[in-house]
Amino acid sequence: MTLWLHLLALGLLATLAGALWRVWRGPSQADRMMAAQLVGTGGVGVLIVLAALQDWALLVVALALALLSALAAVGFVKTQTPDGAGDPEEQSARDGGRYAPAASQKDAAT
Amino acid sequence: MSLALDLALCALILGVSLAAVAGAGVFRAVIFFITYGLFVAIGWARLGAYDVALAEAAIGAGLTGVLLLTAQGRLRRVQADRTERPGAPLPAALAGGAVTLALAWAWFVLPVPEAPDVAQALPQSGAGNPVTAVLLNFRAWDTLLESIVLLAALLGVWMLARDADWDAPLGPRYHARPSGVLAYFGRVLPPIGLIFGVYLVWAGTETVGGAFQGGTVLAGVVLVAMMAQVLPPPRASKRLLRAALVLGPGVFLLSGLAAAALGGSFLSLSAALAKPAILIIEAALTVSIAVTLALLVIGPAEAPEPAP
Repeated sequence: MTLWLHLLALGLLATLAGALWRVWRGPSQADRMMAAQLVGTGGVGVLIVLAALQDWALLVVALALALLSALAAVGFVKTQTPDGAGDPEEQSARDGGRYAPAASQKDAAT
Repeated sequence: MSLALDLALCALILGVSLAAVAGAGVFRAVIFFITYGLFVAIGWARLGAYDVALAEAAIGAGLTGVLLLTAQGRLRRVQADRTERPGAPLPAALAGGAVTLALAWAWFVLPVPEAPDVAQALPQSGAGNPVTAVLLNFRAWDTLLESIVLLAALLGVWMLARDADWDAPLGPRYHARPSGVLAYFGRVLPPIGLIFGVYLVWAGTETVGGAFQGGTVLAGVVLVAMMAQVLPPPRASKRLLRAALVLGPGVFLLSGLAAAALGGSFLSLSAALAKPAILIIEAALTVSIAVTLALLVIGPAEAPEPAP
């Protein structure tokens, strides 16, 4: 059983490495952010497996991560609006659905 | 098998930290830093330091991410994110390597300090979690000063506001579509986060958790509610807000003085009163930490940006 749990954790870490490749490559900012969210979800998985391996108290850490890793996505969405405080949905309703958020543009910094 | 797991984790932590400092582009560095916090949290969990893992997960993967992303967005809006790479990276790399070598040398050469066994003193401390016992009883002085440092940091951020803006609400004027996804998220997440944050504080005296971790989760909840325009941005001049900021350090100081007045020394807790005292101090500290951290991320008071 322990062997299986170790293998499972290793496999999950390997998928996270795949997500990291997407963070590196991009090309758009939204790609990188979504990959970071995938790392968050995978991290919750790894922590749950570690909880089974080591100590169930670790579930609390997994819970905290699940709750707070979405926060970065909210912060990211905010920065994609012209004043940095809005909501792309709001923009799209105002522009009749023609609004293209900055996230879909190529990350010019790389 | 567990060695393979640890090696993979180490490789990932090193790779992510290298990618965060070596790659070009501010945004990519920020995203790598967010994932770095997550991997370090898993690393701490692997080492058995669950309280540290919890703090790292909440701060590193949660609040710091929002802070850095907001800063990057602001830099991009004023077109300041394309500056030249600052100086040669070689001296910084050399300095970092030297610090690493010095730490490794200290690790191998210095003797292990003869620390008193926390487990023996634990029954008198009023807390079942050794970390909480050290933070709020044995080394309460450090914790008191840290809570004051947090307050000083917030004052430093507030001082960045322009004089004319001082009475304006703190941070940007967040807005969202009232019936949109973000507003929905801002209503669904806070109740869950509220329960979880309070649970972390309450359970923290006996098991994994604590005032700092619970306060961080609550700060995240407050942030989401503010960003989704469910909570209005506060003003620095509000009395209730200021009271919440000083509640934690204030209660901590008063309980320390009360201990001195009752015949003990400053900040000493008698075994009989330790458990309720720790719970009261933690509850007050949680309120202050939650409000302070949320306001640190939101930033100083600023007048609304003129319409473009």
